[in-house]
Amino acid sequence: MEQLIWAASAECDPATDIICKPEFVNELFETPVIFSIGGFDVNRAMLLMLLAAVVVVGLLFFAFRKPRVVPTRFGTAMEGLVGFVRDEIAVGIIGHDGIKYFPYLLSVFLFILVGNLFEVTPFINFPITSRMAIPASLAVLTYVIFVFVGFAKNGMSYLGGIIWPKSVPIGLRPLVGLIEFVSTFLIRPLTLAVRLFANLVAGHVMLTLLLGSGWIFLSHVADIGPRAAIGLGWFLIGMAIFFFEIAVAVLQAYIFTLLSAVYIQTSVHPEH
Amino acid sequence: MEDISGALALIGYGLGAIGPGIGIGIVAGNAVQAMARQPEAANMVRTTMFLGIAFTEALALIGFVLFFIA
Repeated sequence: MEQLIWAASAECDPATDIICKPEFVNELFETPVIFSIGGFDVNRAMLLMLLAAVVVVGLLFFAFRKPRVVPTRFGTAMEGLVGFVRDEIAVGIIGHDGIKYFPYLLSVFLFILVGNLFEVTPFINFPITSRMAIPASLAVLTYVIFVFVGFAKNGMSYLGGIIWPKSVPIGLRPLVGLIEFVSTFLIRPLTLAVRLFANLVAGHVMLTLLLGSGWIFLSHVADIGPRAAIGLGWFLIGMAIFFFEIAVAVLQAYIFTLLSAVYIQTSVHPEH
Repeated sequence: MEDISGALALIGYGLGAIGPGIGIGIVAGNAVQAMARQPEAANMVRTTMFLGIAFTEALALIGFVLFFIA
């Protein structure tokens, strides 16, 4: 099988580890520089990040540019999305104070949603959230917000409530406090970033492998004859995963926003 | 040892996925039960279910990332 793929691919260099990959496969680990501005190298992921930001701003701008009594279909859809983030996530999780954090949650939700959906957008096919830098920066943003809010709302009793929890027996307090401290200040931002990153990497790798091998087999039907039919199987499985990934993209954007809201909520009302 | 390290990482990820797999099953199963018993609470249960799944899933995802690092 490997021999077949090597033979079917365009550039075969048996000296390297990754032999005969199609050009588009390795984008996850290599970042070819497109152009440089004064020492800053710009690659495709950065351009896509800008595009995602522009798309988010454009969506909101065109949906709410002029309010109408009877909104257009597009306006209704955006109102539903924004209303969902406001009612279900911001106010629903955090409570009445939640409306203060609604702009942040909405921005994060829409940016991650658009970034995730780049995975299944034709001709882009690259989720920007599968580059660790982007989920990590967003997680650090949430981390800074919930730690800052915790100290601003509760003073030092926020830290005290975590490392010396009043609700457990006194003998267990050092142990529970240590676990709580590590889980709040170290594990939370780490898992928040890794969850989004790993889901999107897994999806992207799966799609790349399945559709890529399907493409390799089917496009070399002249060289390998009827054996190219294997590619049809890969392609069909890849298309099934493709639609599954749309659901994953939406769900992961929702979960990131939901967890950000939950973390902020635990800082606003630490007793609950 | 060098040539089987990749395979070891795969086995490690497989082992790491067992616990979260069972955990997500328990979370989702109980959420379905709760929604069937009290359909009017379905929205709240669904949010909590996603939270539970997200926390449980974190362990499997850390294993997935370690597979790349190792």
